[in-house]
Amino acid sequence: MDYVHLRRQAASLRKGLFDQGYLDEQFYQLEDLQDDASPNFVEEVVTLFFRDSARLMANIDQALDKCVKDFNKLDVYMQQLKGSCTSIGASRMKTECTAFRECCRDENIEGCMRSFQKIKREHSVLRQKLESYFQLLRQAGPVECATRPNK
Amino acid sequence: MRVQEGINSMAGADQFPIGMRVLAVDDDPVCLKLLENLLLRCQYHVTTTNQAVEALKLLRENKDRFDLVISDVIMPDMDGFKLLELVGLEMDLPVIMLSGNGGTENVMKGITHGACDYLLKPVRLEELKNIWQHVVRRKFRHRERNTNLSTEDPEFDKLPNSNPSHAQGQHGQNSSSDNSGRYSKKRKDQNEPEEEDGEDNGYDNEEPDPSAQKKPRVVWSVELHRKFVAAVNQLGIDKAVPKRILELMNVEKLTRENVASHLQKYRLYLKRLSAVASQQASLAAAFGARDPSSYLRMGMFEGLQSYHPLASSSQIPSSLTSFQATGGPLLNRSNPATLGLPGLSPSLSNNSLSSNPLNELNKFQLVNLPGNSNHANLLHDQLPSELSFSNVTNNALLPQTSQDCMQPRQSAVAATSFHAKPITFENRCLTKAENQSLEIPSSSNDIFLGRDIKCQSSIFNEESKLLSFGGASQNNTKLQWRQDDLHESTLLLSSYLDSQLPNNSCNTMADPVTIAATGSGMVQGLNGGVFNQREGVATSGIIGSSISGLTAMTNHDSQLKQREEYNLGVQKVQGGYGSNGCSMDGLLNSVIKMERDDISYSDGDIGCDLYPLGACM
Repeated sequence: MDYVHLRRQAASLRKGLFDQGYLDEQFYQLEDLQDDASPNFVEEVVTLFFRDSARLMANIDQALDKCVKDFNKLDVYMQQLKGSCTSIGASRMKTECTAFRECCRDENIEGCMRSFQKIKREHSVLRQKLESYFQLLRQAGPVECATRPNK
Repeated sequence: MRVQEGINSMAGADQFPIGMRVLAVDDDPVCLKLLENLLLRCQYHVTTTNQAVEALKLLRENKDRFDLVISDVIMPDMDGFKLLELVGLEMDLPVIMLSGNGGTENVMKGITHGACDYLLKPVRLEELKNIWQHVVRRKFRHRERNTNLSTEDPEFDKLPNSNPSHAQGQHGQNSSSDNSGRYSKKRKDQNEPEEEDGEDNGYDNEEPDPSAQKKPRVVWSVELHRKFVAAVNQLGIDKAVPKRILELMNVEKLTRENVASHLQKYRLYLKRLSAVASQQASLAAAFGARDPSSYLRMGMFEGLQSYHPLASSSQIPSSLTSFQATGGPLLNRSNPATLGLPGLSPSLSNNSLSSNPLNELNKFQLVNLPGNSNHANLLHDQLPSELSFSNVTNNALLPQTSQDCMQPRQSAVAATSFHAKPITFENRCLTKAENQSLEIPSSSNDIFLGRDIKCQSSIFNEESKLLSFGGASQNNTKLQWRQDDLHESTLLLSSYLDSQLPNNSCNTMADPVTIAATGSGMVQGLNGGVFNQREGVATSGIIGSSISGLTAMTNHDSQLKQREEYNLGVQKVQGGYGSNGCSMDGLLNSVIKMERDDISYSDGDIGCDLYPLGACM
């Protein structure tokens, strides 16, 4: 198998994520924390993130569906989601979360819903990309791929 | 609940910072995992939990198990600030707050609650690498103190009247210590062994230098606090100046500064309680067809204002309001009506304000006391989980200080009683002696509202003490009548029972059961031990019984000296009555003075600084 090629692919995918703003510097921190003691740290955290964020987003969906317009609750949920995004460096999602919270502050339910759709999209795209990335890494071998390349 | 232990292979316990034992609390699993790994990277020994309640449990199990606590601010089961307070007060461990929100208000809140640092998410490794300084600082001092002292008792806080060295007000100390920490490390040898610090963890970041009024930490045992509260009540909250309190308390080795600092904390506590109460009261808004949120904002003051023009919320200084994360400045302050019960803890007001007030109340209602046999724990456990009221903090304090009190259920009952409609809660008081979930029906607010005592009711919901305060102030006429008829202690309850019952002016006795129930409920809330009695009294449904119960309560006050507020509330009311002859004006004045006092010290004054205003009153 062409590990080099796979690694290059993974690196390029990763770079794309940064360049396109899906990820920010916080992701570097995650990568930095990965070491021999926790060789899959990044992937673990990311997996955890997607699981937890899916749960939060389901809550938000539910809250929005109810049409109760409980902006406070929505804001609280979104704050949690935003916190998670911040922790892993999911930059685009974070931006959308901020926008959502502003809509909450303005009590703009339409805006909230639109914003939330965007968040869902970003979430899904990021998930796809990161999953591909990790898959490539796995295929490419554990050597140095997991660590941050020269960036 | 999940608790994970991260093994630090280099656990050299004395090689700070390596091996420092950190407890990390955050409900967000992603953040928690990240934090854990960052801490491990710093070579700390990490324990994680995603529940504040669990964290408290761990801490309480063994106070020596951790060196430092890092906690998120926003958590579902308990407000981070409340946890912060509890940890600081009970275990005297350094606590670092974590938040995604770095606004000045929040940071300020962290400081006033005693955090030794406030970090923003996402946390960086570099920042965590430095957190050990907070521990080292304290440790050095502690070691110094230990070597100088011969008869230290680690269980200091459990011994009544144990050497009462006073710890500077938590907040004051933390902030001053933080500032001076860097210097203090160098001067660690200069600990003045003037008084013994019985604390095992002498985490007193006091300056070795007298510049910060450094004194060995005083542990406010139950007994000591009881005396304190008794003295304050005797003097009247408006006249409670440290010097006189000190005189009344007549405790050796206690200094005026100790008292001053404690008084400051106490007032903060009261304020928080009253803020919570007023929030709830306003929420109920039974009488005023007002929008609940407006109630919240108006809170106590409105109620008060209807009574007395002096109770103007406008007095709330911005500094105070800033403590309230959410727009409930009034709430915090508002409780002057409640005899100086300080506004609700900021966290509380934040919570209530930010969410549907009724939801808040409901949350409170839903608290199901865990089957914790430790009553005190119950009470405060449940409270925090529901509403991060400051009073919860107080409750939390209870466990450590008073083993004899708090039966959470009863307090719950008390709380519920207040919240519920007169009849409802009355029943509650009577029937649900044990282990009822804290129900904080907003209806109790109705009661108060009816009497235009919105804020009062909310306070009551929170703490019986609050109720007593509110009641006291509200029922001018009733009080007096009551006083004449009843023992002072009973009067206390009745007065506020009256207030609770809308327009029930003529009937203090009219609903003996109710009154008794409420009274007893309250009392119970206040004092664990008392509760028991009260409950019995209440159930009898006889005024006489309630009265005797009240009396019993009063008698028990000395026993109950729980750390705070509960007793305080009751005692205060009583004191208020005693001193003022239960005149409403007197009460209101007291309340107002309290408020002013609160204002004065909320401006950041520490300890004795507060008194000038109060003294001036």
